[in-house]
Amino acid sequence: MPLAPVNDSVGIDALTLDPYPIYRQMRAETPVVRVTSVGRTFLTKAAFTKMVKDDPETFSSDDPNTPMKPAFQAHTLMRKDGAEHRRERMAMQMAYTPKVIKQNWAGIYRDLTDRYLDSLPRGETVDLFSALCGPVAADILTQILGLGDVDAATMQRWSQQLIDGAGNFGWRPEPFAVSDKANAEMNAHFDSLIDYHKANPNASAFAIMLNAADPIPTSQIYANLKIAIGGGINEPRDALATLIYGLLTNPDQLEEVKRQEAWGQTFEEGVRWVAPIQASSRLVREDCQIGGFDIPKGDTVMTIQASANRDEDVFENGEDFVVFRDKNPHQAFGSGPHHCAGAHVARRTVGEIMLPALFERFPNMTLPDPQAVKWRGFGFRGPINLPVTLN
Amino acid sequence: MVNVTYIAADGTTTTVEGELFSNVMQTALDNDVAGIVGECGGSMMCATCHCYVDEAWQGKTGARNDGEDDMLDCAADEVKPTSRLSCQITLTPDLDGLVVHLPEAQY
Repeated sequence: MPLAPVNDSVGIDALTLDPYPIYRQMRAETPVVRVTSVGRTFLTKAAFTKMVKDDPETFSSDDPNTPMKPAFQAHTLMRKDGAEHRRERMAMQMAYTPKVIKQNWAGIYRDLTDRYLDSLPRGETVDLFSALCGPVAADILTQILGLGDVDAATMQRWSQQLIDGAGNFGWRPEPFAVSDKANAEMNAHFDSLIDYHKANPNASAFAIMLNAADPIPTSQIYANLKIAIGGGINEPRDALATLIYGLLTNPDQLEEVKRQEAWGQTFEEGVRWVAPIQASSRLVREDCQIGGFDIPKGDTVMTIQASANRDEDVFENGEDFVVFRDKNPHQAFGSGPHHCAGAHVARRTVGEIMLPALFERFPNMTLPDPQAVKWRGFGFRGPINLPVTLN
Repeated sequence: MVNVTYIAADGTTTTVEGELFSNVMQTALDNDVAGIVGECGGSMMCATCHCYVDEAWQGKTGARNDGEDDMLDCAADEVKPTSRLSCQITLTPDLDGLVVHLPEAQY
């Protein structure tokens, strides 16, 4: 079979600004395509992205030679396969389960959300992205992980610095210098909490990992905490901002959502429509074929779940925000062994707590100028501002 | 083909034909049976395909697989002695007629 066609024209800037028309065209014309600017083979159809994620033997996550390793100062579970990945993931999984969230944390999350809502000025136009979505996501993660009294701004800064380092594919020294400093701060903070969690076993991820019968090495506990910090703030932040935008720009749907209290369904549609994590990479271990093209061993394929989530073969009107779909088999949380460990946390915190609390507190809020909302991101995506008038 | 009957928490009963050597999770998805999500695609990394094997069939479905116990601890609903991750039950010929009960919630 032939190799996949090459796309020399699409650049990273266009993908960052508005990737959806590009993906629509790719799905129609070149669903498997080598994108020169990114150096990856893009897979834009739902069947291909799911097949790749579900087959870790052929499509491996194990790639120690990415900037993730220097950024996190560790070979993390995100970049491992098989038993090693399972062991490190299961070490913290219990902290992210529906039962633990319901029993231990739901009350705390409500209080945290209320505290942020209390601070918002009624009648004024406020950027909810920076005033609510980011900080509340950070504070909730601090609780889940068991990170004591670290403030939201610090958590958000650490998260962004880890992400910037992990995305430093140009291998420039500056982002690693910044992430090294963040690592030193995080390590010192984690060190200071170990005695407390050992003396007071609790349901936080840190305590669960430390107090396990057969704990993973401390270095991997720290790496896991950093992965959660790097991957557990921007996603709920972006999901919440996307959901608020989707509902405020579709007032008919908003009314129906409120009437039916269909917040869970709304959440699923928001993350389908604009997946906070848009794309993932997998290393090809064996020569194989996808969609009628030869994919050689050693190639790196990129599953574009952002595109899979709008695939015409799966979704009607996939480009639109439509809460009340019959079925919504989106891939926003991925599939296979690396399926998002925080999926339940996101559903409970963003979908069941934050979103209804916000619309209950400000039932008549509006988005005065939807055009003013800017969307950004290729790997991660969401609004970067959200000026809402609170009423 | 191997017949599988799914009994939802509200009593809704659905019987479908599964393909030989498929599994109970995939068969539910292939036939639009509500109540099984199977979000991780059968790699035992989520617990959204939780089911309770009907007691009459427990002997034939056998014991839980390695790692299944830990993942079941993460299930949204109560875990009982009959609890299984349905992705881990392969449809062998002797399971023709299998009956499984579904929990109220998968997440």
